[in-house]
Amino acid sequence: MNDRNALKGLFLMAIALAFGLGALNYDIGHVARAGPGFFPLIVSSFLFLLGAAMVVRSRFMERAPLYFNLRNIAIIMASLAGFALLSRHVNMITGIVFLVFVSTAAAGKYSVRRNANVAAVLIAIAFVLQKGLGLQLPLY
Amino acid sequence: MDILHNLAFGFGHALTMQNLMFCAIGCTVGTLVGLLPGLGPLATISILLPLTYSIPTGGALIMLAGIYYGAQYGDSVSAITMKIPHASSIVACIDGYKMTLKGQTGLALFTAGISSFIGGTVAIIVLSFFAPMLGEVAFLFGPADYCALMLVGFVCVSFVTTGNLLDGLAMCLIGVLLGQVGTDVNSGQERYTLGFPFLAEGIGLISIALGCFGIAEITKNLDNKDERTPFNGKIHLMPTWQEFKRIIPSALRGSVVGSFLGILPGGGPTIAQFAAYAIDKKVSKYKDEIGTGVIEGVAGQAAADEAAARTSFIPLMSIGIPENAVMALMMAAFIIKGIQPGPNMIAGHPDLFWGLVASMWVGNVFLVVLNVPLVRYWLSVFKIPYAVLFPSILFFCCIGTFSVNNNLDDIFITALFGFIGYIFLRLDLDPAPLLLGFILGPMLEENFRRALLISRGSFNIFVTRPISATLLAIIAAFVAWQIAAFVVQSRRNGAARPRVPAEPAV
Repeated sequence: MNDRNALKGLFLMAIALAFGLGALNYDIGHVARAGPGFFPLIVSSFLFLLGAAMVVRSRFMERAPLYFNLRNIAIIMASLAGFALLSRHVNMITGIVFLVFVSTAAAGKYSVRRNANVAAVLIAIAFVLQKGLGLQLPLY
Repeated sequence: MDILHNLAFGFGHALTMQNLMFCAIGCTVGTLVGLLPGLGPLATISILLPLTYSIPTGGALIMLAGIYYGAQYGDSVSAITMKIPHASSIVACIDGYKMTLKGQTGLALFTAGISSFIGGTVAIIVLSFFAPMLGEVAFLFGPADYCALMLVGFVCVSFVTTGNLLDGLAMCLIGVLLGQVGTDVNSGQERYTLGFPFLAEGIGLISIALGCFGIAEITKNLDNKDERTPFNGKIHLMPTWQEFKRIIPSALRGSVVGSFLGILPGGGPTIAQFAAYAIDKKVSKYKDEIGTGVIEGVAGQAAADEAAARTSFIPLMSIGIPENAVMALMMAAFIIKGIQPGPNMIAGHPDLFWGLVASMWVGNVFLVVLNVPLVRYWLSVFKIPYAVLFPSILFFCCIGTFSVNNNLDDIFITALFGFIGYIFLRLDLDPAPLLLGFILGPMLEENFRRALLISRGSFNIFVTRPISATLLAIIAAFVAWQIAAFVVQSRRNGAARPRVPAEPAV
């Protein structure tokens, strides 16, 4: 079942179901005076049909395998989440250092020295943004 | 003479010291991100949007517009020298890169620069004539017509950006659904907030844009692991008079084509380049040589590119409906600044409108000055290794997200959309229509509900009003054509391939 075209349709149908079933919780109203659930219900029904059409279409198309590299996206997301958490509980300087040193694990060659330089420059930029543009960055 | 008067008024605003500076910053940053991988105009405008809170309205808009057309230009530079377009300059790769292989990089860059300038100038003339005119037409539009117009926009954008109507439309609809998250304006009902208080205001546009375009793009580049070889060739810029004469007709043709295609819904630089290139291939004096690396192959598309980048502001500023994803972001910028783009904008804020138009021409001059003589220095940007670049981009994504509300929680949303964006990317779904759907979604719902309220629940209103009936007929014809094309193509494929007797195992 590793067919990107069919998976695409299934993925869209899943999204449509999530929003469509959610819309049923809200007042649908009637056509002349639509409630909050009316419009999302219509839109998600259309989306469901499009997803179904894609699944059907995939039967007529060449199969395309799905390529998914969980490692890199996981590293990037971890570095972003770590940045947010550290900035809140410690300070943003630690957050920047964490972001640089963790995210570069996704790149080919890892160099501590280069990372230290990048982090130093970014901290300097953060100070400029804070003092110059008046951004309220919790740097320290 | 009204136009001249208005333009003079606009230049009065664009040529103040402050606005000149914002224009220069916009063009410089734009060119830079156009050159760099992994940071298109969409991501850059989203990062800088929150930083423009403290800048006066006129300057902020001038700067953001400069980023857009600057990026468009920078992209063509990297396409010509290294055959890597990041956003849209796919056409520039064909002849532009062939010229580089012939050792004519300088000539190609000069041609692109001058043609862009010509394209931009023509587009500004078109802009100052058509925007006020279309603005008057827009007063005739009722809610049903607005709905139909937005649907036309969805269909066109879906087809143009992804080349695949089904995929693009689905992304638009996902965008519309994401736009539903938050409090319903009519009833006060909270929708899809899952009980999180910070979702009551809706999902942040910046989070979606940075996640889908910034973070997903970075991850894609990391997955690819391709190392670029920086361009080291010699650049000889000045063309001979003979060569210069060949630029003009192509560039003018491209400008007209680009200006026109830029106005249409779903139009914009990419389609304009292809059209201009195709036309040059048909009518140019040197049409047989196009494709082998000649001036005409670069000039026409570069002019069309810049012209369309500017005229795509027309639907946004005169009707109030953005026609592509970048314009949707520009619309958000207008709204953040408290200005509703639409028919009332030109009359209500003439200084902003004409100032922006005039600044586009000033930006044109900046781009030529910045890029043509200084292109060597720009190319050194490519010597920065990606391992330095991408942590910095991530940092700017974080800062941009954070400064919208000074809230660190928003970074989690951005990261989440980075993941979703990565899934889209791997499923071969282009997120650009999603952004347009997200911005237009609430407007679409409001107009849809209003139209049905007016007609007391009868859907006839969509086909009895002449404007909306025409627009819907266009959509229907287009969809019918697409389905027919698909059937014909799969038949032909089926006939070409020897039939396998048994069903393939699933």
